[in-house]
Amino acid sequence: MIAEALQLLSLMLTGLMAAYLCRHYFFTLNVLKNSGKPRKDIASESTDFQPSVSILIPACNEEPVIGRILQRMSELTYPSDKTEIIVINDASTDATGEIAEQYAEAHSFIHVLHRNEKEGRRGKAAALNAGLKRAESEIILCFDADYYPQRNIVGQLVKPFEDPKVGAVQGRVTVLNEPKNLVTRLVALERIGGYRIDQQARDSLGLITQFGGTVGGFRRNLLESLGGWDESILAEDTDLTFRVYLEGFKICYAGNAECYEEAVENWRAYWKQRYRWSRGHMQCAFKHLFKVLRSVNLTLKQKIDAVLLLNVYFMPILVLLSWIISVPLFFLNSQPTLGIGWAAISISVYSFVGNFAPFFEVGVGAYLDGRNRAHWLISLLIFTFLYNIPICTKAFADLIVSKVSGEKSVHWDKTSHSGDGNSYIMN
Amino acid sequence: MLENVSPTMFVALAFGVVMFVLFMFLPALLELRRPRDAGPRKIVEEVSAGRKLEIASMEETEKIEVDQAIVKRISNILSALPNLEA
Repeated sequence: MIAEALQLLSLMLTGLMAAYLCRHYFFTLNVLKNSGKPRKDIASESTDFQPSVSILIPACNEEPVIGRILQRMSELTYPSDKTEIIVINDASTDATGEIAEQYAEAHSFIHVLHRNEKEGRRGKAAALNAGLKRAESEIILCFDADYYPQRNIVGQLVKPFEDPKVGAVQGRVTVLNEPKNLVTRLVALERIGGYRIDQQARDSLGLITQFGGTVGGFRRNLLESLGGWDESILAEDTDLTFRVYLEGFKICYAGNAECYEEAVENWRAYWKQRYRWSRGHMQCAFKHLFKVLRSVNLTLKQKIDAVLLLNVYFMPILVLLSWIISVPLFFLNSQPTLGIGWAAISISVYSFVGNFAPFFEVGVGAYLDGRNRAHWLISLLIFTFLYNIPICTKAFADLIVSKVSGEKSVHWDKTSHSGDGNSYIMN
Repeated sequence: MLENVSPTMFVALAFGVVMFVLFMFLPALLELRRPRDAGPRKIVEEVSAGRKLEIASMEETEKIEVDQAIVKRISNILSALPNLEA
């Protein structure tokens, strides 16, 4: 009886995992199929559609990198009379504010908003909301302080807004400090899979394109009507993604709008970042799951994708659960409910085909990027997946504890940046 | 289940697993040892013609097109250098 119950549970978990693995294949094959066709998001710099743009750059102790992004902002090809850069100095204790002020003095379109200790340091969402109050333009774009965009990125990012149904846009992120060490190289591979394949496929298939919190933006009036960023959610970007879709708008992926970022450089920083992402994502799952299922603004395929996207950070926990279940199943040694033949077939197919799916996605992404050797590291992604299991498990446990205890405040554990990416800049 | 496995089969199975793992990670070990594509991926910028400056030699025998931003950066560096003729 117990053995059969565990077998059924194990098969259900396998079925859930297979759904995600099929999704990986579906996305990868879609991008491969479309790779030879001209992409609709390719936008050469257009002078016809040039709305006013406010670029928000939240910065808390970003002294090593703030100068680099502001220098780059001064080199943007978008008309400066239609651009305003708002640096939100979020109670920094280093020279972030001073460096930003130097650029503000040299360029009239760069402004600095200083937040003191009392009002600042309450997370990125709070900083962005402060910047939003100051912004005056039609389009709000966001960049993290460690980013280094291509100079024509603003034109690329605003072009999708010509479609009135587009409420937000997301560009592509490329890791700048990729050569630094194994962590940065593996994160770069993850980014390739996430942007080159995942986001591209979701956009092509009309699914839920995700706003990633940076290298993207919104219509200002839509953002204001949504109340800005939710300061209680750690994944404020994912939260806004679903609020945009629930409001009846869509998010467009502008794959040609590319920006370098500094990836985390050690496993401790990787833990902190992914913990924040997974806990925030789980908060969004609790907040939006039923709204998504009930929404009249989403198609059926969007609802299915939304459910899979919202629950993606629960998957490592379910994998752990399936491993735990397999131990008593092994020792109980009873006849499988569905017959040993069917069990063997399903497990074999899952293992040899299903497990291959995420690696296939990253590999195809690297191939399409012309990275002929980068994908040789793909097998090492198994270690990042294994590392994500305790991260997601802890995030879930902490979230449940906070919900039971009624604790509403969230602690934003900021990723520190070294500025070492400067040595890899090529233009 | 394990009682049906003979010692020979067990050794062969263990050897197979080890070889499989080795082959799975061999490309990664080779790339880490001698990286041939450590990145980062180069983002191609499309800079319009209006952003380019034409620089010619004194005799105007050679001309090149240079991105405005690069010229600006070089001039900023030069302006910061001490005037050696002073």
